Amino acid sequence: MVIDLDKCTGCGACSVACMSENNIGVLHNETDKIRSITWMRVYQIDNGKSFPDTEVAFIPRPCMHCQGGKSGTPGQAFFQEGPMDEEAHPPCVSVCPATATDYDEETGIVSQIPTRCIGCRYCVAACPYHARYFNWYDVPWPKGSPRALSPFVSPRMRGVVEKCTFCYQRYQAARNKALVDGGEVGEMDYQTACTEACPSGAITFGQLQNPEHKVHKLISSDYTFRLLEQLHTNPKVYYMSKREWVRKKADNYVTRHNKFAQAAAQSGH
Amino acid sequence: MQWDRRAFIKLAVGGVLGVHASPLMWKLMDDSTIWTQNWSWVPVPEDGAVAFANVVNPQTGTGAKARLVQGRVDGTRAIRVEGNPEHPLSKGGVVPQDASALQLLYNTDIRVTAPLLRDRASGRYSKLSWPEALDILAGNLAEVAKQGKPEAIMALGQDPESATGQLLLSLMAALGSPNLAFTPNAGETLALAGLAMMGQTDLGFDLANSDYVISFGTPLLENFGAPVATRKAFASWRGFPKNSGFLAQIESRASVTASQADMWLACRPGTEGALALAMCSIMIQEKLYDQAAVKASFGFADEGDFKGFKTFVLKNYRRERVAQMAGVPLEKLVKLTLGFAKAKRAVAVCGPGNSSDPGRMYDFMAVLALNALKGNIGKPGGVLVQAPLPLKAIGSTRVQSNVRPLVDPAQGLDSNNPDALAKAALAGKPYGIKTLLLVGGNFVYNGPQAGVMEELARKTPFVVALTPYLDESASVADLVLPTTHWLEGWGDSTSPYGSPVACYGLHRPLIKAVPQAKDAGDVLLQVASRLGGKVAKALPYKNMEEVLAVRTEAMGEFEELAEQSFWVQPKPAYGPVKFQTPTGRFEFFSMGLFKLLSGRAGNPQVLERMVAMMGVGGGLEAAFLPHWEAPAAADDLGTGMPLLLAAVPSLRTTWGGDAITPYMVKVLPDTMLADMDKLVVEMNPQTAHELHLYEGDMIRVDSVAGSLTAKLSLFAGAAPGVVYAPVGLGHSAFGFQVEGKGMNFNRAAKVTTDPMSGLPVWELTAVSVEKVQG
Repeated sequence: MVIDLDKCTGCGACSVACMSENNIGVLHNETDKIRSITWMRVYQIDNGKSFPDTEVAFIPRPCMHCQGGKSGTPGQAFFQEGPMDEEAHPPCVSVCPATATDYDEETGIVSQIPTRCIGCRYCVAACPYHARYFNWYDVPWPKGSPRALSPFVSPRMRGVVEKCTFCYQRYQAARNKALVDGGEVGEMDYQTACTEACPSGAITFGQLQNPEHKVHKLISSDYTFRLLEQLHTNPKVYYMSKREWVRKKADNYVTRHNKFAQAAAQSGH
Repeated sequence: MQWDRRAFIKLAVGGVLGVHASPLMWKLMDDSTIWTQNWSWVPVPEDGAVAFANVVNPQTGTGAKARLVQGRVDGTRAIRVEGNPEHPLSKGGVVPQDASALQLLYNTDIRVTAPLLRDRASGRYSKLSWPEALDILAGNLAEVAKQGKPEAIMALGQDPESATGQLLLSLMAALGSPNLAFTPNAGETLALAGLAMMGQTDLGFDLANSDYVISFGTPLLENFGAPVATRKAFASWRGFPKNSGFLAQIESRASVTASQADMWLACRPGTEGALALAMCSIMIQEKLYDQAAVKASFGFADEGDFKGFKTFVLKNYRRERVAQMAGVPLEKLVKLTLGFAKAKRAVAVCGPGNSSDPGRMYDFMAVLALNALKGNIGKPGGVLVQAPLPLKAIGSTRVQSNVRPLVDPAQGLDSNNPDALAKAALAGKPYGIKTLLLVGGNFVYNGPQAGVMEELARKTPFVVALTPYLDESASVADLVLPTTHWLEGWGDSTSPYGSPVACYGLHRPLIKAVPQAKDAGDVLLQVASRLGGKVAKALPYKNMEEVLAVRTEAMGEFEELAEQSFWVQPKPAYGPVKFQTPTGRFEFFSMGLFKLLSGRAGNPQVLERMVAMMGVGGGLEAAFLPHWEAPAAADDLGTGMPLLLAAVPSLRTTWGGDAITPYMVKVLPDTMLADMDKLVVEMNPQTAHELHLYEGDMIRVDSVAGSLTAKLSLFAGAAPGVVYAPVGLGHSAFGFQVEGKGMNFNRAAKVTTDPMSGLPVWELTAVSVEKVQG
């Protein structure tokens, strides 16, 4: 996934579309952002300058679906190509005692199975992006409102962790359709709810390693970066902005040159 | 047996082994696992076949698709509202209000499920049947009309262009009451400014094809026209790897638009119109205007003793003076103007204010004048005239009695001013009202001056609310009639503000309505048929479906249209614009306005007095030319009210239509809502320092209209001397997820009347601020 921060107007459509796709509930108090469950959360940053030079920008943050471990080469879109080449090592997956979350080598998606979760919250602590949320309460569904729930995603119970799954149910549906029709899952067959919803088209979704896909071209630009890159979480969500202050604010400023160098160093070249 | 240590251990160990050998423990563990995963209060949504149906959200103008699941037990239900990629303007994509619309639709705690009669003394509701409810309503209307005072019936509606609005207009006309107003919007101001200068009312901005856009104080990326379509245009300027369009924002706060713009010209609040005129004067001085276009226009140069726009602007809006007055750096202003003048396809945009108010007419005229100097009218990327929507009239809207309306029509050009109407009715001058019809629009919450609307509703003997929700208006109404949500019933919507092409949206029943809800239009038709006589004759339709079928006759097969859900003008109208002004040209000096007001006045002396009485500053010389006047709130400053209150618009809140939804509350940042229910207002750190206020302080913001209690957030991007508050929070209805979250901006905003348009404005309000405990 690539998110163009210069197109993002912070309207929150991605976040709300995600909630309606994934049956997320609303609690009495949603200003407590630690406990408020928003798989796709839109953060606001500003450039720290005083009036009239102030500028704000928004950073939508889904789950980063980290691969962890070593980065691949630029040719591999910074990911190791083959499955089992080097075992994936996302921060959350490696701490889960219940195998409720796992890394799918085929799609690169970090899964989350709420019914397996025992609620220990190790993964919440391990995630450097605050992308994981614990269900502290049962959702108080107002009368009649469960009629709007999607049958394709199970509503979660109290006491389990949940997070963005890149709308895995949509991938399953697309894969099933491809199986029946006898083809491959195409770029536009599988798009996440946030990607579809974004009114300014700031989110692009596809296979990073597939040269045919738009995201593959976008990530080689000078303007792309990832969040907390120096933690070597190897996230699959890229951001891009032509504004230098935005790139600098995103914790570590990696130029094209040292992005390649870093990738090379990590993969041992 | 002797009870000793050994016996005890034997018994304990034996017991433990015994329990393990029996299935009891395993069974209990298994049961508890199942039990923990079968919580009856965790819903299990029913599966079923998926279908999609087109729909246009009348609240946002977004072309959408409803995703429907056809369940065996639960029947057809909508599970999502998604974008419709086939809609030519929104091209897929939604805004939060679209994506979360189902939360209001299905929450039966907040829906009106049967006609209700409220006992004023106890506040209790009792359920009625529809025939009873309609009898009560028709009986009341007939009685007021029989007393010979139909003007004592006042109605407020949401959208005058919609079929429901048209039916309401016909109903009121047939009843003989001129006291009718709708939710005010910027489209009316643009129509009036367009009429004055171009003789055209349906103007739009061709944003998608423009490469240099200057927005004058309008929240282009927050709350402008159809928000999805506007964003598509914006995204097209943000090319990769290079930007293809330049956006400049002129306003006082580092808003989303200002931050996403290539240039933010931070000005003092309310000076945007003056800057447009200063840009005109720079273009004239530098001779950078479109000579041919200007030559073909009227009122630019002097003629005899008549002083034209050129002389007027050069004299009154010298760049240095305006730059200093507006607090902007001169070189930045000049750079912006030169960029605009030299760009290939530049457009200057005016629109609703940050508070969603309709804007000031002279500011709009200034922006149109700037566009005319650029010569972009009727050109790609410029100001366009929409083709008229091929809609058939469904009734007569002319009031057939000569009763004087509550608001003097001479007050301004447009009488659509719910605020002035309410204030006049409350004062009982020239007369009071007996019945108040609230047809959607939740006026008791939205106001625009909410306190006035609530007082009016409480003091009027009989109040009727037609609404899908148990909202603020329903809470003060005597008779509450349940109407359908837009996914449940028939209805339509017309072109959103500023759209370059005309568009029409239709919605039809996609799912079963809550029991007893009727389309608002159907209720009006049934009341009319009960009243009989000329009222029934004025609304001769069976139901809303028939009304819409008649209305859209020229758009082709009705069933196809209903399925398609939209009609959009196929191509933008590029080419020379037919100026339907008295001179047949673009009028910098509005001959149309001059003739209209001279006609009303009779002679020049009266005209001068009349213009002054309307409150137009600058006298006769300026009245028919685009000019700038300081906002009304500026006069109130210094009377113990040292600060200005301005609005923060956002697509995470709403104003005017449906309320904010629970998901929208959920995604509010802590710079808008904090600590569960506290409104957050922004202030410049320097201003706060001068007032000895700190981040997180609780403050009370007082205006003459009301007050807000809020938590203070210091924001460097806020202009000094201004308090910025979000609009659209603080409902006292809509369930625990929405109710009581924040406070209502429109409770503190002071509403005044724009001198020329006659429309209500509430962009800025003078306030004082005081620290409070909490």
